[in-house]
Amino acid sequence: MTNATLERTTLDISETLRKNSTLVYPFVSVFAIIAYFTITSPQFLTFDNATNIGRQAAVLLLVALAGTVVILIGSIDLSVGANVTLSGLVTAAAVDRVGLLGAIVVGVLAGAAIGFTNGVIYTGLKVPSFLVTLGTMSVCAGVAGHLSGGSAIVYSSTALPGFVNSKSVLGIPNVIFIVLAVAALLTAVSFRTKFGRYLYAIGGGEPVAVLSGINLRRYKVLAFVLGGALCGLGGVILTGQVQAGSPSAGDALLLDSIAAVVMGGTALSGGLGGAHRTVLGVVVIALLSNGMDLTGVNNFTQEIVKGLVVVASVALTIDRSRYSFIK
Amino acid sequence: MEINLSQTLSDSLDPAVEALALEMTGITKRYGSFTAVDGVDLSVRPNTVLGLVGENGAGKSTILSIINGTNRPDSGTMEIAGSVVGYGHPLEAAEHGVATVFQEQGLIPSLPVYENMFLGREKRFIHHGILRRRSMIAEAAKVLRDLGVDIDPTQATQNLSFGQRQLVEIGKAFATTAAHDAHPIILLDEPTSALSAVETELLFDNVRRWRDRATFVLVSHRLSDLQALCDDVAVLRDGSLIAQLPIADTTDDQLHELMVGRKRDVEYYKEADQRDTLGPVVLDVAGLSSAGRFREVNFQLRQGEIVGLAGVLGSGKSDLARAVAGIQKTDQGSIEIAGAPLRNGSISHAIRQGIQYVPAERTAEGVILSHSVEKNLTLTLLDKLTYRSTSILNLRGGRAMTQRWIARLRIKAPGPDVPIGRLSGGNQQKVVFARCLEREPSILVLDDPCRGLDVGAKEELYELVRSFAESGGSVILVSDNLPEIIGLSNTILVMRSGAITASLKSPASAKPDERDIVKEMV
Repeated sequence: MTNATLERTTLDISETLRKNSTLVYPFVSVFAIIAYFTITSPQFLTFDNATNIGRQAAVLLLVALAGTVVILIGSIDLSVGANVTLSGLVTAAAVDRVGLLGAIVVGVLAGAAIGFTNGVIYTGLKVPSFLVTLGTMSVCAGVAGHLSGGSAIVYSSTALPGFVNSKSVLGIPNVIFIVLAVAALLTAVSFRTKFGRYLYAIGGGEPVAVLSGINLRRYKVLAFVLGGALCGLGGVILTGQVQAGSPSAGDALLLDSIAAVVMGGTALSGGLGGAHRTVLGVVVIALLSNGMDLTGVNNFTQEIVKGLVVVASVALTIDRSRYSFIK
Repeated sequence: MEINLSQTLSDSLDPAVEALALEMTGITKRYGSFTAVDGVDLSVRPNTVLGLVGENGAGKSTILSIINGTNRPDSGTMEIAGSVVGYGHPLEAAEHGVATVFQEQGLIPSLPVYENMFLGREKRFIHHGILRRRSMIAEAAKVLRDLGVDIDPTQATQNLSFGQRQLVEIGKAFATTAAHDAHPIILLDEPTSALSAVETELLFDNVRRWRDRATFVLVSHRLSDLQALCDDVAVLRDGSLIAQLPIADTTDDQLHELMVGRKRDVEYYKEADQRDTLGPVVLDVAGLSSAGRFREVNFQLRQGEIVGLAGVLGSGKSDLARAVAGIQKTDQGSIEIAGAPLRNGSISHAIRQGIQYVPAERTAEGVILSHSVEKNLTLTLLDKLTYRSTSILNLRGGRAMTQRWIARLRIKAPGPDVPIGRLSGGNQQKVVFARCLEREPSILVLDDPCRGLDVGAKEELYELVRSFAESGGSVILVSDNLPEIIGLSNTILVMRSGAITASLKSPASAKPDERDIVKEMV
């Protein structure tokens, strides 16, 4: 190989890397994390641990998908964690009365209702989504406190935990199939439906979407409702996993979910990325958390590491040309 | 006044006077393959007002941005007061006395006047780390008083009128240059476009008074501004300096001709294809008004007709086009399509009634730059691509549609999946046209569809517009480019300050003269 072709090849590679940086970084991180923890912990690369990671990441994936839908239209939903908590409590309170199927419907509807409220306030009163959902986050947390009296809501149904935790196929917990199916469905919706295309268009260029005659308000509300419903399902699954409704179980999901969305490559400015990318981001976060648990990293240290990873990943992947000022 | 002007001219033409305030030699600036400014030689005598005129895109703004340091020329030299300058940073322009009063004002509304006047230059008011508010106010008051401007510097800037804010900006320019002990060269970028007649007169009085303290470069679309204020006038066309001469030596007609210059090319606008016989009325606009934008507009559009809307910036021509497309709400009057009223401010209704709109701001409103050619092209057409009444898309249909239009309009794109931002402006615009034409509209509303495009792309789009009209479509064409309007239109409506001031027939056999249109515009 001559010097010139070598130079061109390296140029091509760096060009390809630069163009696909939002896809390359998560993949590289996944492999780096797997390699590192495989060396440092003998239990890391085992089947049991893999299903364990899947179980731990299931609710996070749903919440991150909820975040993705809203971030795609260029908005943000900060109430996702509180929504999971509240929907989960509602599910726990209802399951003994309405049965498994009823509980799932009630939980998902509760989440969707919270999303609908967010969407209507956001589009109707034209309050930035950041502030609307900051408010509803607090409201949801308060309602959850009242509903539970500050302690867990214990239920006696065995159908819900059974449905979520049992391993009917290949020794893999049902919950993993459920959330992966949701992710696949959502990916299909984003690419193969008018609804999905409109979400991208609204986030990518709102004025273009308006001039195209798209009913902006309707689709924005729908995005929030869909996100809320996903959080509701997250609440149902969480309630099944811990076999009780907890008054704060979902709260920690907010930061992790935004981290996963952004690391996956969905731009906070909207219009780029999507559900399929978020799966990748969730895998990174889940591997990182699990690996640190296994190697006995202190909880507080874990928080520091995750915080740094979020900032670093945004710094690497953000498309600065789309902002005239970084606020 | 004329005597007065020539007096000043002959005074300053005295060979004994000092060096030129500003001299540009061979200044060239390119953006990609587009040459915005081509070898311009410009000289500004001290203590005069130079008028800079030209059509949109002639290079006026680029010249200003080179003088004030926000843009660097690719070649050429610039001298200020006899010494060559090359800015490393826009702030250095101020050290040479250059200050700009922007079209869109550069003041922060929430701050008081005095803080705006010294924004970013508070350093000399700081003693021992504390900002001395009182000395800032005193200094600001002094500057304004010296200029004869009666504005309290402690007022919040947002409480001032547009004209007053402009005076504050000029005060800021004087304050800034005074701090550097330089002779002020103040660039006024279309200062009168948002002013009332009274405010304009006041501004002009002030500038005339300040001329003994500063040199001015004035960009304006209004020839009356130039006649009233300037000593010299420089005419730009397509990036080149066509002429620089004392204003006293020119007439309005001469200026018009210098500005426009080029011969209209009959071939370029496919005038041979222009229809003479038109069909029935398809669009009837009656008594249409929108507060602050346009008023009492009446016109009709016939099948196969191209109606051109001409007017200067802010004349209301774009707003009128947007109203017809359902984007702009109206207060009074009606728009009827084939006899049926159009719902006020409903884009989707306008689309259903067969209206398609091409916005002027292509990259902000026309296409989503980060999305693919296919996604951009099909965005407004997704309802045609879904299975039955579901939301599920026929992806193959979308791909086929995209490829059909890429072939039909000869869109140069590496493929349907590349981001549209990687296409040239002309090809991006063809995608927008494809999207509109796929709907088989009866009316196309085009807002400056060829803005910023090169000659080849323009010609292809003209051909598209022409063949659309020939096949029975009707067009409303808004443009800043007069030859384009004259060349393409059957009828030309001229707008000024929100009202239609003239309606001219423009048959292929007897195209109106540009000067007749300009007369109605300004």
